[in-house]
Amino acid sequence: MDKIIRIRKLTKDIPKEVRMMCDSMLEELERANRPVLEAVKCSLDNAFYNQKVGYLTPGDKRVRTELNVSSVQKMARVVFMLEIILQNLESGAVNTKRELYYMSKGKIKRDKALKALDFAAQDESDSIIDFIGDMLEVYREELNCFANDRGGQTYSQQLVVTETLPDGTKAVVDLSTLGTTPFQPKNKPQALTLKAKKKIDFCLVVESEGTAGTLVANGITRRNNCIVLGAQGVPSNGVRGWCKLIQEQLHVPMFFFGDLDAYTMQNIYRTLKAGSAASLIRNADFSAPEVHFLGVLPEDVKKYDLDCYNVNEKDAAEGRSLKKAKDALQNDPFFHDKKNKRLASILDWLIKNKLRCEQQAFFAVDPKDPLATEKIILDKIKTGSYI
Amino acid sequence: MAKAITSSSTAEYFAKNLQQVGFSSPLKAVLTTLKEAVDNSLDACEENSILPEISVEVRKIGQGSGKSADLVEIIVEDNGPGLDPEDLPKVYGEYLASSKFGRGQATRGQQGIGISAAVTWAQLTNASGVLVTSKTSRMRKAFHGSIDVDIKQNKGVIKTKEMIDWDRPHGVRVEFRIDGRIQLNGDGGILTYLEGTTLVNPHLKLSYKLGDADWVKIARVSDVVPEVPPSTLPHPHTMKLGEFITHAGIFGKTEFGKFLKTGFSRVNDVTLKDLTKNGLPKAMLAQPVGKMNEAQFKQAFQVIGKTELQSPSTRSVLTVGEEAMAKSILRLGDVDFFSVVTRKPKICDFKPVVVEVALARFLNRGGEDQSIQLLRFANRVPLQFDKSACAITNAVESVNWRSYGLQQSKDSLPNGPYVFAVSIVSPFIKFKNASKETIDASDELVEEIRRALMQAGQKLSRHIRRENKEADLERKLSHIESFGPILVEGLMRISGAKEGRRIKAQEGLKKLLGRDTKDAQKELSEADVRLNALRERQEKAGMFFTSSSRNEKAMEASTDEVLETENEGRNDDDADSGESRGTGKSAQGTAKGTTAKVVETKGITKGTEKAATTGKAASEATAKSTGKTTGKIAGKTTDKAARK
Repeated sequence: MDKIIRIRKLTKDIPKEVRMMCDSMLEELERANRPVLEAVKCSLDNAFYNQKVGYLTPGDKRVRTELNVSSVQKMARVVFMLEIILQNLESGAVNTKRELYYMSKGKIKRDKALKALDFAAQDESDSIIDFIGDMLEVYREELNCFANDRGGQTYSQQLVVTETLPDGTKAVVDLSTLGTTPFQPKNKPQALTLKAKKKIDFCLVVESEGTAGTLVANGITRRNNCIVLGAQGVPSNGVRGWCKLIQEQLHVPMFFFGDLDAYTMQNIYRTLKAGSAASLIRNADFSAPEVHFLGVLPEDVKKYDLDCYNVNEKDAAEGRSLKKAKDALQNDPFFHDKKNKRLASILDWLIKNKLRCEQQAFFAVDPKDPLATEKIILDKIKTGSYI
Repeated sequence: MAKAITSSSTAEYFAKNLQQVGFSSPLKAVLTTLKEAVDNSLDACEENSILPEISVEVRKIGQGSGKSADLVEIIVEDNGPGLDPEDLPKVYGEYLASSKFGRGQATRGQQGIGISAAVTWAQLTNASGVLVTSKTSRMRKAFHGSIDVDIKQNKGVIKTKEMIDWDRPHGVRVEFRIDGRIQLNGDGGILTYLEGTTLVNPHLKLSYKLGDADWVKIARVSDVVPEVPPSTLPHPHTMKLGEFITHAGIFGKTEFGKFLKTGFSRVNDVTLKDLTKNGLPKAMLAQPVGKMNEAQFKQAFQVIGKTELQSPSTRSVLTVGEEAMAKSILRLGDVDFFSVVTRKPKICDFKPVVVEVALARFLNRGGEDQSIQLLRFANRVPLQFDKSACAITNAVESVNWRSYGLQQSKDSLPNGPYVFAVSIVSPFIKFKNASKETIDASDELVEEIRRALMQAGQKLSRHIRRENKEADLERKLSHIESFGPILVEGLMRISGAKEGRRIKAQEGLKKLLGRDTKDAQKELSEADVRLNALRERQEKAGMFFTSSSRNEKAMEASTDEVLETENEGRNDDDADSGESRGTGKSAQGTAKGTTAKVVETKGITKGTEKAATTGKAASEATAKSTGKTTGKIAGKTTDKAARK
């Protein structure tokens, strides 16, 4: 099997480290000592917003699992999953988390002695895989475990992407030749090299995949030297890595166009800009700190008389999102940082007013003009109406 | 031309609106009739310090006059003082003829409506009232006759009458034949009613025969007749203006100041001074009540409303008591363990209230996924309908039972094989309707019930936690067996270790995990030692189940059936730290203090006769369930020792 293109230069030899770790655990057992597994604590209480780098970084807190009667199950499962991953790393095979879940079930089916390890549901095996990543301080992709390629459909008349394939050959994709077909970044965008045929003025990340498609269909990429991509909700690793790549290789101003609501602000935009607490060890390569929030902004609601909705607290999803937003204001270091004061004040405004305004509300400004939304976006970029 | 305005008698009103007093369906009609008859019997016995012996028969005897109703016969007989023949028409045939109306006593009956309504229902559906047999200790022969309600006149009428020989020294027997339907189980079931009545009346000896089933006899577990506290005067803050003026009407020429002092509780000279300070004209206090006009009453009423008054006395409430409740609950079935709490009397909405709670887990009722059975009581009368709007239901649902180890969906009753019994006693219970099925859910009352429930929940959680500990130990033991070898094998394969290391690592692992298990086992044994010591102390103190009393009352189920009696609030009054000081005093069994007891028992069956037949089975069940704690663990230990 061909060698996998690596996401970053990793000095670690993962298989070697895993073997050494297991050997030392065995040694501890021989001495009747309790082996200990330690991992970075990936949660908000161990997240720090580093203004210099612009993303959430881990603190000193560690999750420590010492062998005892309660943790023996987890430890056995970690070792069991490590064995499967090691096999993949050595053969070059890749899998998704769900496939790994089924592979583990297959192994258990064939060996009755392993029955006790069986995962009742995928979330159980997922948490073991995540723990392994946090323990070895490596990305999931570096364990040959890739996520589904969701979101990130990209359109541009200027962008040329070169992909280095595992066999060393290069595949060059000129996005202007794809017609109406978008370019879909892979879940390891770091294997791509970007080049602009002409100077690109901006990159627009649109929360709604549909709205991104509309803007492109109406000719935004023909009239402007730009990149337009759809985030498709909460940005996946692929989208985050892709935005990071555009930011680093092309140095173009990047704007996020999305709803004015607590969920977008806290879950979608913050994750794109600074990463998430659950992936503290990978935010360096999976966040685009220079992305600006273009809108919808509270002043746009007034200026363009945009239609708003009241947040229904009784609705389970909306209520939960509002509660999460309140938590974020209190505990999220991203919103505590003075650099993000304006974002925090918008979040506060949203919580207090219990309002939400969707990005598509701009289409109500001049229904006769199909380019009205594009014009507003361009005007906002031109006049600096963003955060 | 306008139609002529006519007036109707009270009986006419109720005859047309029987649904308001519990006769809204055939099913409810049977239960309400039974309930009214039993309530009257219990009240009569208590007022005369007689230990009640009541027998109940309910059976279908034919087709009812209504479409979907049966003809049901309900017979209730008591050993009460009996009624003089001249009082019988008033008691059974006249609405609002009560010896208890507006007395401010925590008795079951209050208004004198219920039994007359039952007679009316019998008349309306079967064309004949109630057949009564009554004998007082002064009578040689018993009165035996039928009584109807004269609906037009609101008067009782004796239709037939004869004096008969009756082999009872005194008592009353009532026989109703009504349209109805018999339901035994469930919220509105007769059995549920009888169980509830049994629970809150530990001094009651009850026998019943339902349908074709055999007689069931339930022995009393207390020989003390509860003393109904004396009536209390109303508190001014509990009245509306209209009631205030009506109340004043009785006092005629009495000076207003004197009326306030003698007609209400908690009004004295100091209060009168406060009232004048708050704007009540001094001259008004000297004015005869009869000469005051409505404007003056209103002015006085408003001043009283804004003046702070001492809370009413709590002496007018009575409690079942924890000890009696603890014994009584064992009559409901095979109790696994339970917890009882009697709160200190409290003032809620200016009315004295006492809340008592018994939570019991049963071995033979309900399931883990079924909702608990909630028994609600108001002045020791079971409430069986309109559960959802009741203060008691609201309070139970508002407690987070998950923190005590029970399963519960949000804002719902918890699940499990439990019976939750909540009793409210107060001379002024505010019901939502005349049929007295739902207690009005005021915030203060709900909070008071909540606190009682939380105290009981804390006690209960100790048992549940101990069970969890056992389960945890079992889980740990099985983890060692299951995962230990897999872990070592995995490590061996990944590290490519030589064969010799396997045995060494396995031995090391066993040592490590064995240590943990030993610690857990030690914890459990220590808990058992503490439990046994406590049991011995309880046995010595004879608090609950001395071996002799157990033999008599708990029906020889097993010698080791009583596992634990853990008493007194100690530091468990977290739910209401303000109350915890009262705990020590109340340990002496007075109704004043807040005490909490938890009793764990196994295999105790209901009723002497029942126990006699099921004694063996209960004994076996006990042996099984007691063995559960130690049996499994011992088994594992032995296995482990053998492996070593």
